[in-house]
Amino acid sequence: MNDLMGLIYTGDNGERLGELTSVRAVAALPVLARYRVIDFVLSSLVSSGAKNVGIILQKNYSSLIDHLGSGKEWDLHGKRQGLVFLPPYQTPDNIGVYSGLMDAIRSNMVFLRRSRESYVVVTDSGMLYTANYDEMAAQHIRTGADITLMYTTNPKIKRSSVGHYIKLDEEGRVLELENNPVNPSFENTYMEAFLIRRELLIELADRAVSRAQYHFTRELLQQAIHDGTLKVYGWKNDSPAWRLDSTQAYFECNADLLRPEIRRQVLRADRPVWTKMRDEMPTRYVPGAKVKGSLLADGCIIEGTVENSVIFRGVHVQKGAVVKNAVIMQDGYVMSGAHVEGCILDKQVTVRDGVTLCAPTSYPVVIGKGMTV
Amino acid sequence: MIRKKQCVAMLLAGGQGSRLGVLTQHMAKPAVPFGGKYRIIDFPLSNCVNSGIDTVGVLTQYRPLELNAYIGSGAPWDLDVSQGGVYVLPPYHTGATGEWYKGTANAIYQNLPFIQQFDPEYVLILSGDHIYKMDYAAMLRHHIEHKADATIAVRQVPWEEASRFGIMNTDETGRIVEFEEKPKNPKSNNASMGVYVFTWSKLRDYLTRDEKDPNSSNDFGKNIIPAMLNDKCVLTAYSFNDYWKDVGTIDSLWEANMDLLTTPLPIDLHDKKWRIYARNFGSGPQYVADTAEVNDCLVTEGCEVYGRVQHSIISTGTIVEAGAQVIDSVIMPGAVIRRGAIVRRAIVAENAVIEPGAMVGAGEGSIAVVAQNVTVPAGDTVPAGTQREQ
Repeated sequence: MNDLMGLIYTGDNGERLGELTSVRAVAALPVLARYRVIDFVLSSLVSSGAKNVGIILQKNYSSLIDHLGSGKEWDLHGKRQGLVFLPPYQTPDNIGVYSGLMDAIRSNMVFLRRSRESYVVVTDSGMLYTANYDEMAAQHIRTGADITLMYTTNPKIKRSSVGHYIKLDEEGRVLELENNPVNPSFENTYMEAFLIRRELLIELADRAVSRAQYHFTRELLQQAIHDGTLKVYGWKNDSPAWRLDSTQAYFECNADLLRPEIRRQVLRADRPVWTKMRDEMPTRYVPGAKVKGSLLADGCIIEGTVENSVIFRGVHVQKGAVVKNAVIMQDGYVMSGAHVEGCILDKQVTVRDGVTLCAPTSYPVVIGKGMTV
Repeated sequence: MIRKKQCVAMLLAGGQGSRLGVLTQHMAKPAVPFGGKYRIIDFPLSNCVNSGIDTVGVLTQYRPLELNAYIGSGAPWDLDVSQGGVYVLPPYHTGATGEWYKGTANAIYQNLPFIQQFDPEYVLILSGDHIYKMDYAAMLRHHIEHKADATIAVRQVPWEEASRFGIMNTDETGRIVEFEEKPKNPKSNNASMGVYVFTWSKLRDYLTRDEKDPNSSNDFGKNIIPAMLNDKCVLTAYSFNDYWKDVGTIDSLWEANMDLLTTPLPIDLHDKKWRIYARNFGSGPQYVADTAEVNDCLVTEGCEVYGRVQHSIISTGTIVEAGAQVIDSVIMPGAVIRRGAIVRRAIVAENAVIEPGAMVGAGEGSIAVVAQNVTVPAGDTVPAGTQREQ
């Protein structure tokens, strides 16, 4: 669909991901051996025909800008349209930090007004999934909805009390929305992504901010559903989905994606997921390497044992080293005789000779970026 | 308005590469996959950009479709720039005349107007059939320092092989005094690599003169270099003795791939300062399953390995099913090796399928080849040294 644009909010800082997000937004979190979380939403938008995508930046956005660059890898480096970064800036009525999604949208009204598309997908970036936004748009038009919310019935995603849950009638209209309940009463989890006419979004953002409503879901949306002032529908996304709101959730997401049948639903040949290139040579499995049940990116040198793990670009596992049930990000170095199990090694971590790092998979340990153990 | 360039590179990519047999049935030699994720042309193109040369003409003639599509806008090599960039240059009709490229020199001659747009001082002539990392800027400096009209890259080859090459005989200053094409009794072992730097104004004169000679075969080695030597032009040899491998035959292509499995790497492709760029097709990470056994291999993105792979190159998007065996082989992008199939000492070209229980190649003997898009039926055999075309 050509009449669709995207707006990706990366303001959610993922405090509960601890060290992993102390240096980056959740959107910039490395995942699945060679991607960052934002690649999935961005590539889905591109596969759905969007050619104009705004990225709302909040804190720690340098790694995100570095990753996305000119948008070339996503074919978003056009002259007419493409990727637009929307960092916070100071104005007489803005202190340079967005108070919430509606505030961010209001601050970037110029971008929205200048865009040509009739429909806009507004999405958060704390979840990993792929989506056919074109199908979502088709349903939106068919139902005559004002707002269409993306939801999932994936039971894995509900465990967390943080989130929004919706109740639908048979026609798919949203009757109720629950905000961070202790025990969610509805099985439909809102995926923090909605589709709306661009003009209506501009109108709503203007109105909301003038009433000091900065948060879309818990203020504007909940009220509109309750009062019936807007026609809000749900669109079910059947893609596997993960809410990346804790170290454990992040670890499980990587582990789930080790399973080919799940991975194939996310990495589909007909809807490729694009990412920044590093032009690494293929991975070398040196004689003596033992690799089982693992995902690896290019540029690695594997001399030791790797099992059930996700290995990012440029990782070196020396002879005699053992890596099990682990996530090792870019340029990690596991020296001979080291043993790494149940850990998440952030970028450029070195584990020296003979060091043992073991954690239960139910409670993975994170080693911060650039550390030497 | 096109900005003046100091040096323009011209990459001769028109040859059929008939010695590669079925591998070049549907594509020009420079488009042939290499090393898991590359194509041969990635090496000269990456060398150009790493050497600071951002204007490259690629002369195509034989089955250019795959090569054109691969080069595209030049973005993978950062050659999608507004001043310069990569240009695919097929032969074209000019009305009265118009013809195929007759020889290497004629190919450049036909593109005089292309080169002239950039008003360069120097022209670098490259071929698309070698795997090497070379700093052309250093060669260009050598050319300028020696105030040469032409500089020819040479390397020392084993004496017993010297008679297969164009041999440059030099004096003690490195100036070329004699050129012998495939001499029976070589006087030196300095072989030409087919990499030349010319002072453009000189080359232009010689190309124009050569074109008027009906007896000329319009070839750099046979005509242009000898003519320049004859006229006492300054020709210098630039010595290059790093890794350089011709991949013009099935055996040498297989060997060059296998070279990437030696430690230390004879050609360091991990080198961050001299990356070899390639087009990317958005494949996922490589998956090595619980049932897999991967030893002494290169495996790249998009591959799924469930079977046994040993001392082999497994290229982008290849699937090796459980119970399949791949040994001492090069599996090109998108190929599928089904359960129980055995592939030994073979090159399996792009998107070929080896059905269950089929046998390709043998533990010894010459390299077996399965061509692009070919399916080898279940239980069938492709003997060592043979090529399966369909």
